[in-house]
Amino acid sequence: MRHSLAPRSDFPLLAATPGLHYLDSAATSQKPAAVLNAIRDFYETANANPHRGAYALSAKATDLYHDARATIARFVGVADSDCVVFTRGTTEAMNLVASSWGRTNVQAGDEIVVTALEHHANFVPWQQLALQTGATLRIVELTAHQSIDLDQLRDVVSTRTKLVAITHVSNAVGAITPLAEAVHIIRARSAAVIVVDGAQAVPHLPVAFDTLDIDFYAFSGHKLLGPMGIGCLVGRRAILEKMPPYQFGGDMIEWVHDFDCTWNVLPHKFEAGTPNAADAVGLAAAVRYLEALGMDQVRAHELSLLEKAEAAVRALPGLTVYGPAVAQRSGVLSFSVADVHPHDLATILDQHGVCIRAGHHCAQPLMRRLGVSATARASFYVYSDESDVEALVTALVAAQQIFAAVD
Amino acid sequence: MTESLAMSGKASAASMAAMYQDALLAHHRAPHNRREMGDATASAVHKNPVCGDEIRVMVRVDGDELVDVSFTGRGCSIATASASMMTDATVGQSVGDAVALAEQVERMLTGADGALPDGLAPLRGVAPFAGRHGCARMPWQALREALST
Repeated sequence: MRHSLAPRSDFPLLAATPGLHYLDSAATSQKPAAVLNAIRDFYETANANPHRGAYALSAKATDLYHDARATIARFVGVADSDCVVFTRGTTEAMNLVASSWGRTNVQAGDEIVVTALEHHANFVPWQQLALQTGATLRIVELTAHQSIDLDQLRDVVSTRTKLVAITHVSNAVGAITPLAEAVHIIRARSAAVIVVDGAQAVPHLPVAFDTLDIDFYAFSGHKLLGPMGIGCLVGRRAILEKMPPYQFGGDMIEWVHDFDCTWNVLPHKFEAGTPNAADAVGLAAAVRYLEALGMDQVRAHELSLLEKAEAAVRALPGLTVYGPAVAQRSGVLSFSVADVHPHDLATILDQHGVCIRAGHHCAQPLMRRLGVSATARASFYVYSDESDVEALVTALVAAQQIFAAVD
Repeated sequence: MTESLAMSGKASAASMAAMYQDALLAHHRAPHNRREMGDATASAVHKNPVCGDEIRVMVRVDGDELVDVSFTGRGCSIATASASMMTDATVGQSVGDAVALAEQVERMLTGADGALPDGLAPLRGVAPFAGRHGCARMPWQALREALST
Protein backbone atom coordinates (compact mmCIF):
# COMPACT_ATOMS: atom_id res chain seq x y z
CA MET A 1 0.00 0.00 0.00
CA ARG A 2 1.34 3.44 -0.95
CA HIS A 3 0.60 6.50 1.06
CA SER A 4 2.09 9.87 1.62
CA LEU A 5 1.52 11.80 4.81
CA ALA A 6 0.52 14.89 2.84
CA PRO A 7 -1.49 14.50 -0.38
CA ARG A 8 0.45 15.29 -3.54
CA SER A 9 -2.63 17.21 -4.65
CA ASP A 10 -1.77 19.84 -2.03
CA PHE A 11 1.45 20.60 -3.91
CA PRO A 12 0.87 22.24 -7.31
CA LEU A 13 4.20 21.18 -8.80
CA LEU A 14 3.76 17.54 -7.76
CA ALA A 15 0.12 17.49 -8.82
CA ALA A 16 1.12 18.73 -12.27
CA THR A 17 3.90 16.13 -12.71
CA PRO A 18 2.52 12.74 -11.63
CA GLY A 19 5.58 10.85 -12.94
CA LEU A 20 8.03 12.93 -10.95
CA HIS A 21 9.75 11.36 -7.95
CA TYR A 22 11.20 14.30 -6.06
CA LEU A 23 13.81 12.94 -3.69
CA ASP A 24 15.76 16.13 -3.05
CA SER A 25 13.75 17.66 -0.23
CA ALA A 26 16.87 18.02 1.90
CA ALA A 27 18.00 20.59 -0.66
CA THR A 28 14.66 22.34 -0.84
CA SER A 29 11.11 21.17 -0.27
CA GLN A 30 8.16 21.53 -2.57
CA LYS A 31 5.54 24.11 -1.56
CA PRO A 32 1.88 23.43 -0.75
CA ALA A 33 -0.82 25.64 -2.23
CA ALA A 34 -1.51 26.97 1.27
CA VAL A 35 1.93 28.59 1.30
CA LEU A 36 1.71 29.96 -2.23
CA ASN A 37 -1.77 31.33 -1.50
CA ALA A 38 -0.62 32.99 1.73
CA ILE A 39 2.14 34.84 -0.11
CA ARG A 40 -0.21 35.88 -2.88
CA ASP A 41 -2.88 36.94 -0.37
CA PHE A 42 -0.38 39.15 1.41
CA TYR A 43 0.45 41.01 -1.79
CA GLU A 44 -3.18 41.15 -2.89
CA THR A 45 -4.78 42.22 0.39
CA ALA A 46 -2.15 43.56 2.78
CA ASN A 47 0.79 44.88 0.77
CA ALA A 48 2.30 47.80 2.62
CA ASN A 49 5.51 48.43 4.47
CA PRO A 50 5.29 47.03 8.02
CA HIS A 51 6.05 49.38 10.93
CA ARG A 52 6.06 52.54 8.85
CA GLY A 53 2.65 53.50 7.51
CA ALA A 54 0.22 55.62 9.52
CA TYR A 55 -2.71 53.93 7.81
CA ALA A 56 -4.76 50.77 8.21
CA LEU A 57 -3.16 48.81 5.38
CA SER A 58 0.28 49.19 6.93
CA ALA A 59 -1.14 48.16 10.29
CA LYS A 60 -2.53 45.03 8.65
CA ALA A 61 0.86 44.19 7.12
CA THR A 62 2.50 44.82 10.48
CA ASP A 63 0.04 42.51 12.25
CA LEU A 64 0.53 39.74 9.70
CA TYR A 65 4.32 40.03 10.02
CA HIS A 66 4.17 39.89 13.81
CA ASP A 67 1.66 37.04 13.77
CA ALA A 68 3.99 35.09 11.46
CA ARG A 69 6.84 35.52 13.93
CA ALA A 70 4.63 34.35 16.79
CA THR A 71 3.48 31.29 14.83
CA ILE A 72 7.05 30.32 14.00
CA ALA A 73 8.21 30.93 17.58
CA ARG A 74 5.50 28.60 18.84
CA PHE A 75 6.52 25.94 16.30
CA VAL A 76 10.15 25.86 17.42
CA GLY A 77 9.34 26.14 21.11
CA VAL A 78 10.33 29.73 21.83
CA ALA A 79 8.23 31.48 24.46
CA ASP A 80 9.67 34.92 23.72
CA SER A 81 8.95 35.59 20.05
CA ASP A 82 11.12 38.71 20.12
CA CYS A 83 14.05 36.28 20.20
CA VAL A 84 13.14 35.02 16.72
CA VAL A 85 15.00 37.12 14.15
CA PHE A 86 14.06 36.81 10.50
CA THR A 87 17.01 36.25 8.17
CA ARG A 88 17.42 35.11 4.58
CA GLY A 89 18.05 31.62 5.90
CA THR A 90 20.46 29.55 7.94
CA THR A 91 23.51 30.89 6.15
CA GLU A 92 22.70 34.50 6.95
CA ALA A 93 21.80 33.55 10.52
CA MET A 94 25.23 32.01 11.06
CA ASN A 95 26.94 34.98 9.46
CA LEU A 96 24.95 37.27 11.75
CA VAL A 97 26.25 35.47 14.82
CA ALA A 98 29.80 35.28 13.48
CA SER A 99 29.86 38.99 12.60
CA SER A 100 27.97 40.44 15.53
CA TRP A 101 28.74 38.13 18.45
CA GLY A 102 31.96 36.68 17.08
CA ARG A 103 33.89 39.83 16.30
CA THR A 104 32.84 41.32 19.63
CA ASN A 105 33.72 38.33 21.80
CA VAL A 106 36.40 36.23 20.08
CA GLN A 107 40.08 37.10 20.13
CA ALA A 108 43.50 35.57 19.63
CA GLY A 109 44.10 32.69 22.02
CA ASP A 110 40.44 31.67 22.09
CA GLU A 111 39.23 28.45 20.53
CA ILE A 112 36.26 27.86 18.25
CA VAL A 113 34.96 24.30 17.97
CA VAL A 114 33.13 22.89 14.97
CA THR A 115 32.44 19.32 13.88
CA ALA A 116 33.45 17.50 10.73
CA LEU A 117 29.76 16.88 10.04
CA GLU A 118 28.86 20.49 9.36
CA HIS A 119 27.31 22.04 6.29
CA HIS A 120 29.50 24.84 4.98
CA ALA A 121 27.01 27.36 6.41
CA ASN A 122 28.01 26.24 9.91
CA PHE A 123 31.69 25.72 9.13
CA VAL A 124 33.02 28.48 6.90
CA PRO A 125 31.79 31.44 9.03
CA TRP A 126 33.65 29.99 12.04
CA GLN A 127 36.72 29.09 10.03
CA GLN A 128 36.86 32.66 8.74
CA LEU A 129 36.15 34.14 12.18
CA ALA A 130 39.14 32.20 13.50
CA LEU A 131 41.33 33.50 10.68
CA GLN A 132 40.15 37.08 11.25
CA THR A 133 40.59 37.08 15.02
CA GLY A 134 43.60 34.81 15.47
CA ALA A 135 41.51 32.28 17.36
CA THR A 136 42.17 28.56 16.88
CA LEU A 137 39.65 26.44 14.99
CA ARG A 138 39.26 22.95 16.40
CA ILE A 139 37.38 20.23 14.54
CA VAL A 140 35.60 17.40 16.34
CA GLU A 141 35.96 14.19 14.37
CA LEU A 142 33.29 11.58 13.73
CA THR A 143 32.60 7.97 14.58
CA ALA A 144 32.89 5.26 11.92
CA HIS A 145 29.22 5.87 11.07
CA GLN A 146 29.46 9.64 10.74
CA SER A 147 28.03 10.63 14.07
CA ILE A 148 29.74 13.19 16.29
CA ASP A 149 32.37 11.54 18.45
CA LEU A 150 31.36 12.62 21.94
CA ASP A 151 34.61 11.35 23.46
CA GLN A 152 36.51 13.68 21.17
CA LEU A 153 34.14 16.51 21.99
CA ARG A 154 35.07 15.98 25.65
CA ASP A 155 38.74 16.20 24.76
CA VAL A 156 38.43 19.26 22.54
CA VAL A 157 36.14 21.53 24.58
CA SER A 158 37.90 23.42 27.37
CA THR A 159 37.87 26.71 29.22
CA ARG A 160 39.54 28.20 26.13
CA THR A 161 36.47 27.39 24.00
CA LYS A 162 34.49 30.51 23.17
CA LEU A 163 31.99 29.02 20.73
CA VAL A 164 30.84 25.57 19.65
CA ALA A 165 29.03 25.17 16.32
CA ILE A 166 27.18 21.91 15.88
CA THR A 167 24.51 20.62 13.55
CA HIS A 168 21.27 19.13 14.82
CA VAL A 169 20.86 16.92 11.76
CA SER A 170 23.45 16.36 9.03
CA ASN A 171 22.30 17.38 5.57
CA ALA A 172 24.79 15.08 3.86
CA VAL A 173 24.18 11.77 5.65
CA GLY A 174 21.09 12.49 7.75
CA ALA A 175 22.72 11.77 11.10
CA ILE A 176 20.70 13.09 14.03
CA THR A 177 23.32 14.34 16.44
CA PRO A 178 23.20 13.47 20.14
CA LEU A 179 22.54 17.13 20.87
CA ALA A 180 21.50 16.83 24.52
CA GLU A 181 24.62 14.84 25.41
CA ALA A 182 26.81 17.22 23.41
CA VAL A 183 25.34 20.26 25.17
CA HIS A 184 25.87 18.60 28.56
CA ILE A 185 29.53 17.98 27.71
CA ILE A 186 30.06 21.53 26.47
CA ARG A 187 28.36 23.14 29.47
CA ALA A 188 30.38 21.02 31.90
CA ARG A 189 33.70 22.07 30.37
CA SER A 190 33.31 25.63 29.21
CA ALA A 191 31.35 28.85 29.16
CA ALA A 192 31.15 28.59 25.37
CA VAL A 193 28.28 29.91 23.33
CA ILE A 194 26.54 27.02 21.55
CA VAL A 195 25.30 27.59 17.98
CA VAL A 196 23.13 24.90 16.43
CA ASP A 197 22.34 24.45 12.73
CA GLY A 198 18.72 23.32 12.65
CA ALA A 199 18.17 23.58 8.88
CA GLN A 200 17.69 19.83 8.53
CA ALA A 201 16.01 19.33 11.89
CA VAL A 202 13.11 21.77 12.05
CA PRO A 203 11.43 20.37 8.91
CA HIS A 204 11.67 16.78 10.11
CA LEU A 205 11.65 16.56 13.92
CA PRO A 206 9.84 18.23 16.81
CA VAL A 207 12.14 21.04 18.02
CA ALA A 208 11.77 23.02 21.25
CA PHE A 209 14.49 25.66 21.53
CA ASP A 210 13.71 26.66 25.13
CA THR A 211 14.41 23.10 26.32
CA LEU A 212 17.76 22.69 24.52
CA ASP A 213 19.99 24.83 26.78
CA ILE A 214 21.72 26.35 23.76
CA ASP A 215 22.38 29.95 22.76
CA PHE A 216 21.59 30.17 19.05
CA TYR A 217 19.54 28.04 16.67
CA ALA A 218 19.16 28.69 12.95
CA PHE A 219 16.92 27.25 10.24
CA SER A 220 15.66 27.95 6.72
CA GLY A 221 12.09 28.27 5.55
CA HIS A 222 12.51 26.71 2.13
CA LYS A 223 13.35 23.29 3.55
CA LEU A 224 10.12 23.14 5.58
CA LEU A 225 7.58 23.80 2.82
CA GLY A 226 8.12 27.56 3.00
CA PRO A 227 9.44 30.00 0.43
CA MET A 228 13.09 30.61 -0.43
CA GLY A 229 14.71 33.70 1.04
CA ILE A 230 13.34 33.51 4.58
CA GLY A 231 14.70 31.81 7.66
CA CYS A 232 15.28 32.46 11.32
CA LEU A 233 17.92 32.94 13.92
CA VAL A 234 16.66 32.13 17.40
CA GLY A 235 18.77 33.38 20.25
CA ARG A 236 18.70 33.81 23.99
CA ARG A 237 17.52 37.29 24.90
CA ALA A 238 20.39 37.99 27.27
CA ILE A 239 22.92 37.42 24.49
CA LEU A 240 20.95 39.07 21.69
CA GLU A 241 20.50 42.24 23.73
CA LYS A 242 24.26 42.59 24.23
CA MET A 243 25.12 42.04 20.58
CA PRO A 244 25.75 44.96 18.23
CA PRO A 245 23.67 45.20 15.06
CA TYR A 246 24.62 43.06 12.08
CA GLN A 247 23.51 45.49 9.40
CA PHE A 248 22.63 49.18 9.59
CA GLY A 249 19.77 51.09 8.02
CA GLY A 250 16.08 51.67 8.37
CA ASP A 251 13.89 50.09 11.05
CA MET A 252 16.80 48.80 13.16
CA ILE A 253 17.40 52.24 14.68
CA GLU A 254 15.72 53.95 17.61
CA TRP A 255 17.09 57.44 16.93
CA VAL A 256 19.68 58.74 14.48
CA HIS A 257 21.74 61.72 15.61
CA ASP A 258 24.21 63.37 13.29
CA PHE A 259 27.19 61.52 14.64
CA ASP A 260 25.82 58.45 16.43
CA CYS A 261 22.76 56.21 16.77
CA THR A 262 20.72 54.26 19.25
CA TRP A 263 19.26 50.90 18.29
CA ASN A 264 15.75 49.53 18.14
CA VAL A 265 14.66 46.75 20.48
CA LEU A 266 14.69 43.03 19.67
CA PRO A 267 14.11 41.61 17.15
CA HIS A 268 14.11 44.77 15.02
CA LYS A 269 17.71 45.62 15.91
CA PHE A 270 18.74 42.73 13.63
CA GLU A 271 16.24 43.32 10.82
CA ALA A 272 17.52 46.31 8.89
CA GLY A 273 15.47 47.57 5.97
CA THR A 274 12.04 46.62 4.70
CA PRO A 275 11.34 43.14 6.05
CA ASN A 276 10.52 40.15 3.86
CA ALA A 277 7.02 40.16 5.28
CA ALA A 278 5.31 38.22 2.48
CA ASP A 279 7.71 35.30 2.82
CA ALA A 280 7.43 35.42 6.61
CA VAL A 281 3.68 35.05 6.16
CA GLY A 282 4.33 32.19 3.72
CA LEU A 283 6.62 30.50 6.22
CA ALA A 284 3.97 30.80 8.91
CA ALA A 285 1.52 29.09 6.55
CA ALA A 286 4.06 26.30 6.07
CA VAL A 287 4.38 25.95 9.83
CA ARG A 288 0.61 25.69 10.23
CA TYR A 289 0.54 23.03 7.51
CA LEU A 290 3.19 20.99 9.35
CA GLU A 291 1.46 21.51 12.70
CA ALA A 292 -1.73 20.09 11.21
CA LEU A 293 0.20 17.01 10.06
CA GLY A 294 1.96 16.70 13.42
CA MET A 295 5.75 16.61 13.64
CA ASP A 296 5.72 13.22 15.36
CA GLN A 297 3.82 11.88 12.35
CA VAL A 298 6.23 13.59 9.97
CA ARG A 299 9.13 11.85 11.67
CA ALA A 300 7.36 8.48 11.70
CA HIS A 301 6.45 8.75 8.01
CA GLU A 302 10.00 9.59 6.96
CA LEU A 303 11.43 6.82 9.09
CA SER A 304 9.07 4.27 7.54
CA LEU A 305 10.10 5.29 4.01
CA LEU A 306 13.76 5.40 4.94
CA GLU A 307 13.61 1.87 6.35
CA LYS A 308 12.07 0.60 3.11
CA ALA A 309 14.57 2.46 0.95
CA GLU A 310 17.53 1.33 3.02
CA ALA A 311 16.49 -2.32 2.87
CA ALA A 312 15.93 -2.10 -0.89
CA VAL A 313 19.22 -0.45 -1.79
CA ARG A 314 21.24 -2.64 0.55
CA ALA A 315 19.96 -5.59 -1.45
CA LEU A 316 21.67 -4.19 -4.54
CA PRO A 317 25.30 -5.12 -5.23
CA GLY A 318 28.06 -2.59 -4.76
CA LEU A 319 26.17 -0.03 -2.71
CA THR A 320 27.66 1.78 0.28
CA VAL A 321 25.25 3.64 2.56
CA TYR A 322 26.68 6.41 4.74
CA GLY A 323 25.61 7.58 8.14
CA PRO A 324 24.42 5.89 11.32
CA ALA A 325 21.64 3.32 11.62
CA VAL A 326 18.27 4.30 10.20
CA ALA A 327 16.78 5.12 13.60
CA GLN A 328 19.50 7.74 14.12
CA ARG A 329 18.92 9.40 10.74
CA SER A 330 16.36 11.79 9.36
CA GLY A 331 14.83 10.95 5.99
CA VAL A 332 18.14 10.93 4.15
CA LEU A 333 19.74 8.08 2.22
CA SER A 334 23.29 9.03 1.26
CA PHE A 335 25.12 6.41 -0.74
CA SER A 336 27.66 5.45 -3.36
CA VAL A 337 27.42 2.85 -6.09
CA ALA A 338 30.63 1.04 -6.96
CA ASP A 339 32.11 2.22 -10.27
CA VAL A 340 29.31 4.73 -10.92
CA HIS A 341 29.99 8.37 -10.15
CA PRO A 342 27.15 10.15 -8.31
CA HIS A 343 26.73 12.63 -11.16
CA ASP A 344 26.31 9.81 -13.65
CA LEU A 345 23.78 8.28 -11.30
CA ALA A 346 21.85 11.53 -11.03
CA THR A 347 21.70 11.93 -14.81
CA ILE A 348 20.39 8.40 -15.32
CA LEU A 349 17.90 8.66 -12.45
CA ASP A 350 16.65 11.95 -13.90
CA GLN A 351 15.65 10.05 -17.03
CA HIS A 352 13.48 7.86 -14.81
CA GLY A 353 11.85 10.92 -13.27
CA VAL A 354 13.83 10.51 -10.07
CA CYS A 355 15.41 13.68 -8.69
CA ILE A 356 18.32 13.07 -6.33
CA ARG A 357 21.22 15.21 -5.23
CA ALA A 358 24.71 14.28 -6.33
CA GLY A 359 27.69 16.17 -5.05
CA HIS A 360 29.50 17.15 -1.89
CA HIS A 361 26.30 18.58 -0.38
CA CYS A 362 28.18 21.68 0.80
CA ALA A 363 29.95 19.43 3.29
CA GLN A 364 33.44 19.00 1.84
CA PRO A 365 35.14 18.41 5.22
CA LEU A 366 32.83 15.41 5.66
CA MET A 367 33.45 14.18 2.10
CA ARG A 368 37.20 14.21 2.76
CA ARG A 369 36.66 12.02 5.79
CA LEU A 370 34.49 9.64 3.77
CA GLY A 371 37.27 9.47 1.17
CA VAL A 372 34.98 10.51 -1.68
CA SER A 373 34.47 13.67 -3.70
CA ALA A 374 30.71 13.24 -3.70
CA THR A 375 27.83 10.98 -2.73
CA ALA A 376 24.37 10.41 -4.11
CA ARG A 377 21.59 11.50 -1.76
CA ALA A 378 17.90 10.66 -1.80
CA SER A 379 15.80 12.50 0.76
CA PHE A 380 12.18 12.04 1.75
CA TYR A 381 9.50 14.33 3.05
CA VAL A 382 5.80 14.50 3.82
CA TYR A 383 4.69 14.08 0.19
CA SER A 384 6.99 11.12 -0.49
CA ASP A 385 5.56 7.62 -0.69
CA GLU A 386 6.53 4.04 -1.51
CA SER A 387 6.32 4.71 -5.25
CA ASP A 388 9.26 7.07 -4.85
CA VAL A 389 11.29 4.32 -3.20
CA GLU A 390 10.33 1.85 -5.94
CA ALA A 391 11.28 4.32 -8.69
CA LEU A 392 14.61 4.99 -6.99
CA VAL A 393 15.49 1.31 -6.84
CA THR A 394 14.37 0.65 -10.42
CA ALA A 395 16.48 3.54 -11.68
CA LEU A 396 19.50 2.44 -9.65
CA VAL A 397 19.30 -1.00 -11.24
CA ALA A 398 19.12 0.63 -14.68
CA ALA A 399 22.18 2.73 -13.91
CA GLN A 400 24.13 -0.31 -12.80
CA GLN A 401 23.18 -2.10 -16.01
CA ILE A 402 24.46 0.77 -18.15
CA PHE A 403 27.81 0.81 -16.39
CA ALA A 404 28.09 -2.96 -16.24
CA ALA A 405 27.96 -3.32 -20.02
CA VAL A 406 30.76 -5.49 -21.37
CA ASP A 407 33.41 -3.70 -23.40
CA MET B 1 6.36 14.65 -18.99
CA THR B 2 9.49 13.48 -17.30
CA GLU B 3 11.55 14.46 -20.31
CA SER B 4 10.37 18.03 -19.99
CA LEU B 5 11.86 18.14 -16.50
CA ALA B 6 15.20 16.60 -17.43
CA MET B 7 18.15 18.74 -16.50
CA SER B 8 18.81 20.09 -19.99
CA GLY B 9 15.18 20.57 -20.91
CA LYS B 10 15.86 18.70 -24.14
CA ALA B 11 17.44 15.50 -22.90
CA SER B 12 15.65 12.23 -23.48
CA ALA B 13 16.13 8.53 -22.94
CA ALA B 14 17.52 8.36 -26.46
CA SER B 15 19.97 11.17 -25.85
CA MET B 16 21.01 9.59 -22.58
CA ALA B 17 21.77 6.39 -24.44
CA ALA B 18 23.72 8.49 -26.94
CA MET B 19 25.74 10.03 -24.14
CA TYR B 20 26.46 6.76 -22.37
CA GLN B 21 27.44 5.02 -25.58
CA ASP B 22 29.97 2.21 -25.55
CA ALA B 23 32.71 4.39 -27.04
CA LEU B 24 32.51 6.83 -24.16
CA LEU B 25 32.18 4.17 -21.49
CA ALA B 26 35.20 2.36 -22.92
CA HIS B 27 37.30 5.47 -22.28
CA HIS B 28 35.79 5.72 -18.80
CA ARG B 29 36.62 2.11 -17.91
CA ALA B 30 40.11 2.12 -19.41
CA PRO B 31 41.20 5.72 -19.78
CA HIS B 32 44.17 6.46 -22.01
CA ASN B 33 47.20 8.30 -20.60
CA ARG B 34 45.95 8.37 -17.03
CA ARG B 35 49.36 8.62 -15.44
CA GLU B 36 51.82 10.93 -13.81
CA MET B 37 54.37 12.62 -16.08
CA GLY B 38 57.72 13.12 -14.42
CA ASP B 39 59.13 15.28 -17.19
CA ALA B 40 56.09 17.50 -17.73
CA THR B 41 56.90 21.04 -18.81
CA ALA B 42 53.57 22.35 -17.55
CA SER B 43 50.51 21.19 -15.67
CA ALA B 44 47.26 22.57 -14.34
CA VAL B 45 44.41 21.37 -12.16
CA HIS B 46 40.80 22.18 -12.84
CA LYS B 47 38.17 21.56 -10.18
CA ASN B 48 34.43 21.31 -10.44
CA PRO B 49 33.10 23.09 -7.35
CA VAL B 50 29.66 21.58 -7.90
CA CYS B 51 30.75 18.02 -7.19
CA GLY B 52 34.29 18.23 -5.83
CA ASP B 53 35.88 16.42 -8.77
CA GLU B 54 39.27 17.51 -10.05
CA ILE B 55 41.41 16.69 -13.07
CA ARG B 56 45.12 17.43 -13.35
CA VAL B 57 46.49 17.68 -16.87
CA MET B 58 50.22 17.40 -17.59
CA VAL B 59 51.90 18.31 -20.87
CA ARG B 60 55.41 18.10 -22.23
CA VAL B 61 55.94 20.68 -24.92
CA ASP B 62 59.02 20.51 -27.16
CA GLY B 63 59.30 23.61 -29.27
CA ASP B 64 55.69 24.12 -30.27
CA GLU B 65 54.66 20.45 -30.17
CA LEU B 66 52.74 18.60 -27.44
CA VAL B 67 54.94 15.53 -27.34
CA ASP B 68 53.11 14.05 -24.35
CA VAL B 69 49.76 14.69 -22.64
CA SER B 70 48.45 12.87 -19.59
CA PHE B 71 46.01 13.33 -16.72
CA THR B 72 45.32 12.24 -13.17
CA GLY B 73 42.55 12.93 -10.70
CA ARG B 74 39.01 11.86 -10.09
CA GLY B 75 35.91 12.51 -12.08
CA CYS B 76 32.68 11.08 -13.37
CA SER B 77 32.49 9.01 -16.53
CA ILE B 78 32.07 12.13 -18.67
CA ALA B 79 35.08 13.93 -17.21
CA THR B 80 37.27 10.84 -17.33
CA ALA B 81 36.32 9.91 -20.89
CA SER B 82 36.71 13.52 -22.01
CA ALA B 83 40.21 13.63 -20.51
CA SER B 84 41.12 10.31 -22.08
CA MET B 85 39.95 11.37 -25.55
CA MET B 86 41.64 14.73 -25.13
CA THR B 87 45.05 13.17 -24.52
CA ASP B 88 44.70 11.07 -27.67
CA ALA B 89 43.51 14.00 -29.76
CA THR B 90 46.10 16.56 -28.73
CA VAL B 91 49.34 14.61 -28.51
CA GLY B 92 51.53 15.52 -31.49
CA GLN B 93 49.61 18.74 -32.12
CA SER B 94 50.96 22.26 -31.99
CA VAL B 95 49.99 24.41 -29.02
CA GLY B 96 47.80 26.52 -31.29
CA ASP B 97 45.99 23.50 -32.72
CA ALA B 98 45.38 22.05 -29.26
CA VAL B 99 43.89 25.32 -28.06
CA ALA B 100 41.78 25.50 -31.22
CA LEU B 101 40.52 21.99 -30.51
CA ALA B 102 39.56 22.99 -26.97
CA GLU B 103 37.65 25.91 -28.43
CA GLN B 104 35.93 23.57 -30.88
CA VAL B 105 34.80 21.31 -28.04
CA GLU B 106 33.35 24.36 -26.31
CA ARG B 107 31.47 25.38 -29.48
CA MET B 108 30.11 21.84 -29.74
CA LEU B 109 28.84 21.88 -26.15
CA THR B 110 27.13 25.23 -26.54
CA GLY B 111 25.51 24.16 -29.79
CA ALA B 112 27.31 26.69 -31.95
CA ASP B 113 29.08 24.09 -34.10
CA GLY B 114 28.79 20.33 -33.75
CA ALA B 115 31.84 19.42 -35.81
CA LEU B 116 34.44 17.31 -34.01
CA PRO B 117 37.27 15.02 -35.06
CA ASP B 118 36.33 11.34 -35.06
CA GLY B 119 38.25 10.63 -31.88
CA LEU B 120 36.15 13.14 -29.96
CA ALA B 121 32.80 12.24 -31.50
CA PRO B 122 31.48 10.51 -28.35
CA LEU B 123 31.53 13.89 -26.61
CA ARG B 124 28.65 15.02 -28.82
CA GLY B 125 26.35 12.94 -26.65
CA VAL B 126 26.96 15.30 -23.75
CA ALA B 127 25.60 18.35 -25.57
CA PRO B 128 21.91 17.85 -24.66
CA PHE B 129 22.80 17.59 -20.96
CA ALA B 130 23.66 21.13 -19.89
CA GLY B 131 24.17 19.98 -16.32
CA ARG B 132 27.06 17.81 -17.49
CA HIS B 133 28.87 20.29 -19.73
CA GLY B 134 31.14 21.23 -16.85
CA CYS B 135 32.21 17.60 -16.52
CA ALA B 136 33.24 17.41 -20.19
CA ARG B 137 34.93 20.82 -20.03
CA MET B 138 37.10 20.09 -17.00
CA PRO B 139 40.13 18.48 -18.71
CA TRP B 140 40.04 20.92 -21.61
CA GLN B 141 40.04 23.85 -19.22
CA ALA B 142 43.02 22.33 -17.41
CA LEU B 143 44.81 21.79 -20.73
CA ARG B 144 44.30 25.41 -21.79
CA GLU B 145 45.54 26.61 -18.43
CA ALA B 146 48.62 24.39 -18.65
CA LEU B 147 49.38 25.62 -22.16
CA SER B 148 49.04 29.24 -21.08
CA THR B 149 51.76 28.96 -18.42
